[in-house]
Amino acid sequence: MSAVARNNVVVDGRPDGRPMIFAHGFGCDQNMWRHVWPAFAGDHRVVLFDHVGAGGSDASAYDRERYGSLHGYADDVLEICRELDLHDVVFVGHSVSAMVGVLAAAAEPERFARLVLVGPSPRYIDDAGYTGGFSREDVEGLLAALDSNYLGWSSQMAPAIMGNGDRPDLGEELTNSFCRADPEIAAQFARVTFLSDNRADLSRVRTPSLVLQCSDDIIAPEPVGAYVARHLPESTLVHLEATGHCPNLSAPEETVAAIRAFLAA
Amino acid sequence: MTDDAGLLEETAEDLFEDAPCGYLTTRLDGTIVRVNRTFETWTGLRRVELLGRRRFQDLLAPGGRIYHETHYAPLLRMQGSVREIALELVRADGSRLAALVNSTLVTDASGRPRVIKTTVFDATDRRGYEQELLRARRREQEIAQHLQRSLLSGDLPATDGLEVAVAYRPAVAGIEVGGDWYDAFWLDDGESVGFVVGDVVGRGLEAAATMGQLRSALRALASTGLQPGPLLDALDGYARRHGVGQMTTLAYAELRLRTRRLRLACAGHPPPVLVAPGARPELLGEGRSLPLDAHAVRSARAEATLTLPAGAGVLLYTDGLIERRGRSLSDGLDRLLAEVASQDDQAPAALAPAVVHALHDPGHADDVCLLAVRIR
Repeated sequence: MSAVARNNVVVDGRPDGRPMIFAHGFGCDQNMWRHVWPAFAGDHRVVLFDHVGAGGSDASAYDRERYGSLHGYADDVLEICRELDLHDVVFVGHSVSAMVGVLAAAAEPERFARLVLVGPSPRYIDDAGYTGGFSREDVEGLLAALDSNYLGWSSQMAPAIMGNGDRPDLGEELTNSFCRADPEIAAQFARVTFLSDNRADLSRVRTPSLVLQCSDDIIAPEPVGAYVARHLPESTLVHLEATGHCPNLSAPEETVAAIRAFLAA
Repeated sequence: MTDDAGLLEETAEDLFEDAPCGYLTTRLDGTIVRVNRTFETWTGLRRVELLGRRRFQDLLAPGGRIYHETHYAPLLRMQGSVREIALELVRADGSRLAALVNSTLVTDASGRPRVIKTTVFDATDRRGYEQELLRARRREQEIAQHLQRSLLSGDLPATDGLEVAVAYRPAVAGIEVGGDWYDAFWLDDGESVGFVVGDVVGRGLEAAATMGQLRSALRALASTGLQPGPLLDALDGYARRHGVGQMTTLAYAELRLRTRRLRLACAGHPPPVLVAPGARPELLGEGRSLPLDAHAVRSARAEATLTLPAGAGVLLYTDGLIERRGRSLSDGLDRLLAEVASQDDQAPAALAPAVVHALHDPGHADDVCLLAVRIR
C-alpha cells in the first residue's frame, strides 16, 4: 500500500510551489488545518494527511510495533515526502506532530527547509528539573475519558468509518467524525503521545524552526515552549495571543500571519 | 385551570435557574460568564467563585482537561456543536460529577463565534452502568484469551526422529481472540503422531469454546484408531449432532514414523505444503472435502496417502498466512511456496517463525497459525 493512500494524503495549492506539509496532532484529523492551509495555497504546494488510525487513513494499516513510538509516525511523513518527491519542505506540525516533524527533520535534514511547531512539547510528564505539566495519573485519566467517549464508534458506525460499508444513509459527515478513531488505536496513540520523551532529539535538528506558543495552553504551557526554543539549535519563539491548544482553529489569522512572517524572514 | 395558569406563570428566569440540567455560558476561551442554580447545586461551586474567574475546562479532572483540549474544543470549532461527551467535573469538595455535556457555539450575524452555551447533565447512574458493561466486555475477552491459551499450550511431541514447531500470531487489530487452533499428539500405537490445524468460524468466547470442543472430540476420535478420512467423517457427525463448529475448516494428518507414511485429510482447509530435501516445496492437493457440517448431503471424506522422503517435512497452516486484501488465493499460495523455498534453515523451529514473520501483513486482521513437522 502506498503511503499516499494509507495516510489519506490530499494535495492542493500551486503544483510548482514550495511543498508545505501540515500534520495534525492527537485527537482529530487534517480538518484541523481547514482555516490555515488555504492561506498558503496560492504560493505553496499544500500537502495534508491523516495519521494512521485517524480521519480517512487506512486503519487496517495500523501496526502496534511501528506506531509504538513517534518514530513510526515520522517514518510515515518521510515516506509521503519520498512518494511525492518533495524537497525543500516546510513542515507544519501541531501538538504531538511538532515532535514528529522534529524526528523526521533529524533523520533526513536535507529534505526540510523549515519547521513550524505549533504548541510543541518534547515531554508531557514532569521529570526531575523539568515541568511538562502532567503526571502519569493524568494520562490514565485521559485514557478513561477516551474509554467513555468512543466518538462515532459504535459497531453500527464502524463499517462506514472503516470505508468498507455501503451506508449512504449515514450521510457524508458523521457527528464527531473529525475526531473519530478506532478506540484501540486512539488509546495507544494517547500513550505514545503523552508518555514519549523527545527532549534529546531537539538538539539534533539543523532545520530553522518556528515555535508558536499560545497563551493559557495547558497541553503545552509557556515554559515548555521556551524549553523547545532553547534546545533547538536554530529557532524563533513567537507568542500568540490565541488561547488554548488549537490556534489553527481558534485564531487562524494570527497563526497564518506568524507562519508567513517566519517564512519570509 | 387556576393551578395550571399558576404553573405557566413560571418565568424564563426560573426555567433557566432551576432547569433539570446545569447551564453555562462561556467566552470562547472557556471563561465562565453565566451559570444557573442547578449547576451551582450539583457542583457546590458558587457563581461568585466562577464568573470571570474560572474556565469550564478548569473544572475538569486533568485527564478530562487533555480530552477537552484535544477533542472537545476542536470539535466545537469545526462542527459548531458537540453532543453527548462524557466528562467528569470536579466538585467544590473534590468529589467527581459524572456528566454528559453538550455545547453550542453561538455566532453573531456575520457568522463569527461569540460565546459557547453548554448544558451539563448528571450521568452518575448511566456512567456506572456503562462502566459495568465495559468491565463485562473486558472480562469476556480475558476469559476467551485464557481459554485459548490453555487450549494452545501443552507439549508438542518430539523424539530423535521427529521435530514439531508452531508459530502462532494473533490478529493485531482485533481485541477478541480468533478461531485458529492447532494440536499435535502421540497416537495410541506409540509410533504415530497426529497433527491438526483448524479454523473455527467467529471470534471471542464462542469461538474459543467451539475450538475446545472440536479439539477434544478430534483427540478422542483419533485414539480409536480411525484414519484421517473416516475421522473427519466422525467429527462431521459430531458437529452436526451437537451443533458445534459449523463451517470449521481443518487439515488433519497422521504420520507413522517408522514407515514415513503420511495420511492426510483436508476439510475445506488450505492445502498443506510438502517440504522435501533437494526438491521445491509443493502443495498437497489430494484428500480434500468440504468444511464440517457444510452440506446437507454427506459422503465419505477423501483421504490421501503418501510416503515422505527421508528428512522431509509437512506444513499445516491457516488462511491468515496466505490471504491478502486485493490478492488472489493462488497468489498467496505461490508466495508461501516461494517463501518456504527461500529459507536456508528448514528445521521446523526456525522455519515456522521465519515464514510467519515474512508473510505477516499488519493490515490483515486475522490470526495466523503455522505448524511445521519434519522427520529424520
